[in-house]
Amino acid sequence: MSPADSPAGGAAAGDVPLAVELRGITKRFPGVVANGDIELRVRRGEVHAIVGENGAGKSTLMKTLYGEHRPDEGEILVDGRPVQFRSPADAIAAGIGMVHQHFMLADNFTVLENVILGSEPTKRGRLDRAGARRRIEEISERYNLGLRPDALVEDLGVGDRQRVEIAKVLYRDARILILDEPTAVLVPQEVDELFGNLAELKREGLTVIFISHKLDEVRRVADSITVIRRGTTVGTADPRTTTAKQLAELMVGAELPTPETRESTVRDTPVLQLVDVTVSDESRRPVVDDVTLTVREGEVVGIAGVEGNGQAELVDAIMGLRPLAAGSVLLGGEDVTAWSTRARREAGVGFIPEDRHRQGMLLDAPLWENRILGHQTRPPAVKGPLIDRRGARADTARIMREYDVRAPGPDTLAVALSGGNQQKLIVGREMSARPRLLVAAHPTRGVDVGAQSVIWELLKDARAEGLGIVLISADLDELIGLSDTLHVMLRGRLVATLDPRRVTPEELGGHMTGARSTAGAA
Amino acid sequence: MSGVVRRVGLSLLGPVLAVLVALVISALVIALIGQDPLEAFRVMTDLGQSPSQQVQSIVVILNRAVPLFLAGLAVAVAFRMGLFNIGVEGQYRLATVLAAAAGAAVALPGPLHVLLIVVVAMAVGALWAGIVGVLKVTRGVSEVISSIMLNFIALGLASFLLTGPLRGSPPGASIITTAEIPESGRVPSLNGLLTALGLAEPRSGLYGFLLVAVVVGVVVAVLLTRTRFGFDLRATGLSPSAATASGVDARGMVVKTMLISGAIAGLVGLPDLLGSQYDYGTEFTAGLGFLGIAVALLGRSAPVGIALAALLFAFLDRAALPLQFADIPSSVVTIIQGTIVLAVVVANEIARRLALRSAERAGASAGPSPQTGGDDGAPPPTAPDGGQRVHTGVPGDQQGAQA
Repeated sequence: MSPADSPAGGAAAGDVPLAVELRGITKRFPGVVANGDIELRVRRGEVHAIVGENGAGKSTLMKTLYGEHRPDEGEILVDGRPVQFRSPADAIAAGIGMVHQHFMLADNFTVLENVILGSEPTKRGRLDRAGARRRIEEISERYNLGLRPDALVEDLGVGDRQRVEIAKVLYRDARILILDEPTAVLVPQEVDELFGNLAELKREGLTVIFISHKLDEVRRVADSITVIRRGTTVGTADPRTTTAKQLAELMVGAELPTPETRESTVRDTPVLQLVDVTVSDESRRPVVDDVTLTVREGEVVGIAGVEGNGQAELVDAIMGLRPLAAGSVLLGGEDVTAWSTRARREAGVGFIPEDRHRQGMLLDAPLWENRILGHQTRPPAVKGPLIDRRGARADTARIMREYDVRAPGPDTLAVALSGGNQQKLIVGREMSARPRLLVAAHPTRGVDVGAQSVIWELLKDARAEGLGIVLISADLDELIGLSDTLHVMLRGRLVATLDPRRVTPEELGGHMTGARSTAGAA
Repeated sequence: MSGVVRRVGLSLLGPVLAVLVALVISALVIALIGQDPLEAFRVMTDLGQSPSQQVQSIVVILNRAVPLFLAGLAVAVAFRMGLFNIGVEGQYRLATVLAAAAGAAVALPGPLHVLLIVVVAMAVGALWAGIVGVLKVTRGVSEVISSIMLNFIALGLASFLLTGPLRGSPPGASIITTAEIPESGRVPSLNGLLTALGLAEPRSGLYGFLLVAVVVGVVVAVLLTRTRFGFDLRATGLSPSAATASGVDARGMVVKTMLISGAIAGLVGLPDLLGSQYDYGTEFTAGLGFLGIAVALLGRSAPVGIALAALLFAFLDRAALPLQFADIPSSVVTIIQGTIVLAVVVANEIARRLALRSAERAGASAGPSPQTGGDDGAPPPTAPDGGQRVHTGVPGDQQGAQA
């Protein structure tokens, strides 16, 4: 089934003046095309949703529109006029405002001070508080934001803070508001209030661009929808005529990975067992809540979930990077809960971290030193307490050959490599130690399609040889295509266990957002 | 090979640029105060007329360079792991006073006596620096703050010890010192070596501690670049998060690194103590710890670079006296040293960016980049090993979907 014929959407709306139009926007970063050939048409006075998976390129697109970086190709038109933004200040001047997902407020300032911060009104060289207060009260009244100008931001709840962010944007005379995942931090009642505010904005003729991956919310609030997948716009949809299923298919790709005729390589011996694992954050709230799971030899256990539902902390717990509040971690039947990260790695745990620049590489070091990283205690890179430079170089050259890492040589600095090549080096390095268990967090994030298929192939080969893999990903294709067992993580808990051969992305998406699950209800 | 030459060239570029810039700025300053910059530079580079004067000048430079080198090493070891040990000053002063007292209090056969003094100095320095490390890992105190604060305490403590329990000079003496270290605890000079080489006998002795410093330099170089420990240390300096994920115990590394840095810092006062002073007093050489920071910066935290930087600073220090004889303010030297430090910070950053750019160019020229990007709607590239069993997704459908 092809998505091309399902949604019709706003293509016919030629005579309505467009608030924002993007034509053929392409943005490349070293080694990855973050956005390619983006087409976006947002009519004036509508709530236009942009939906897509995590990592699909929504944020890159919005940064382009907000002037945080310049596109390599393509045009931006605001109110029909081509514009070029050198900085967010230019975007603001053109009437575009951004409400970030993570609030940018000074906690120890009042609402009024936060709103005017950066564009303070002055009267004879002095701060014009009275004037500012009048304008803020007027904005609050007009859009029904309910702001109290003198309240301290630190005393406000999340919903109020978001309204302060919206007021900041309106105070700067924005006519087009970009809201980046505005509901991610809100509880359901606050979401309702937000949608009420958005209706007010719309009534006053403002345009709202609403970024989300929550299909039910999008269908409630949006007038039109643009779907973005793998960096490009794949279609538009009318929320009144499009079903959630059609949207989900657009989002994850219509042709679902065919349940491949692959024989299961799962053996009986467990490699990793997590028993009632609980991890708490600084404020002692459980971010991983009572998770029990088993990974057997030759098994890929996929963890699906909207980002920020405890997957990163779960990885940390397995790797020994974060203490457990409760529970235990068993590696091959042995309790390793108290073991250090190094001891776990020596015991045969490979790690492909979510953020390779932060956790996987030394960017300013040559490739052969990166070969040693994480394997400081094992040959071929070390001999006793000494570094074996020759051995490390030779083995790096081997990895580069076998895993198709394209670089001049082992002495090249890691920073010089493209993202895909860096990732292949990491995968090669981890595989070279012949691990029993591989913790792979977003193993193909931000890499090009060629490297992606190589990495997938490597993971499958290793699995066939008996490697147990914990796979965490936001890419549903990847999860369904590779996993033998699929768990869904929501608010720190495993809320569902699915059979990847039968599950549809739509179902999976439903479990991920909690719509289909009762266990995850807050 | 040309790559190696290129990299060495780039790493030299920063410091050399810095020194040149510093000389230009200093020349301007000298001209501003009404002196002839060329004359000043001539005086500074004039090592003396007769061979014996020249040898004497070189010995003075070397004797000054040895403690500077050790101080630079102490700072650099911490630098390489991303720690800023500003406390070398306090560490070496406290270490020296206690080592001097310990050396004067015992009588042992020659080498053992020296060894005892060295061990005491290293232990005191390590302990004092270790406080910084422990505070950082247990209480999260910035090592910059705590090491500065501990400097004050160390200097006060050293003064108290000197005037109180460890005082060795007779009451009423104008200079207060510890008791003198006997002959067996002193390090003989290397003047015999100089004369054996056919050089004139200098007036003062070339510190035998020079050899110790060379050994320490080699040990530090090997430790940093050839050992697992050094790898962990440098990895932590380059990226603490990556090091932690690789299994490095970051907290343990902080404490160990501070102990090593402090142990080396403890040696800083010993060349003077064991080579010419033989006691610690109110007149004992001060400020080496702070100069060590500048030397480490200029030497880019690499032992060979630090040695060169220490020689340069020692050379400049020696020039202070001749400048005064020539009626040129000797603060010219301080100005040059100060501008070098400022310039080196800027120049290192420029050199780093150049190196990065050349590395990126090297990476880009390594054959066609594999980024074909399915995002562009390009056909799915076949994996080099021919494997295409995995469904790579979507590129095929996207074009149809672009409505």
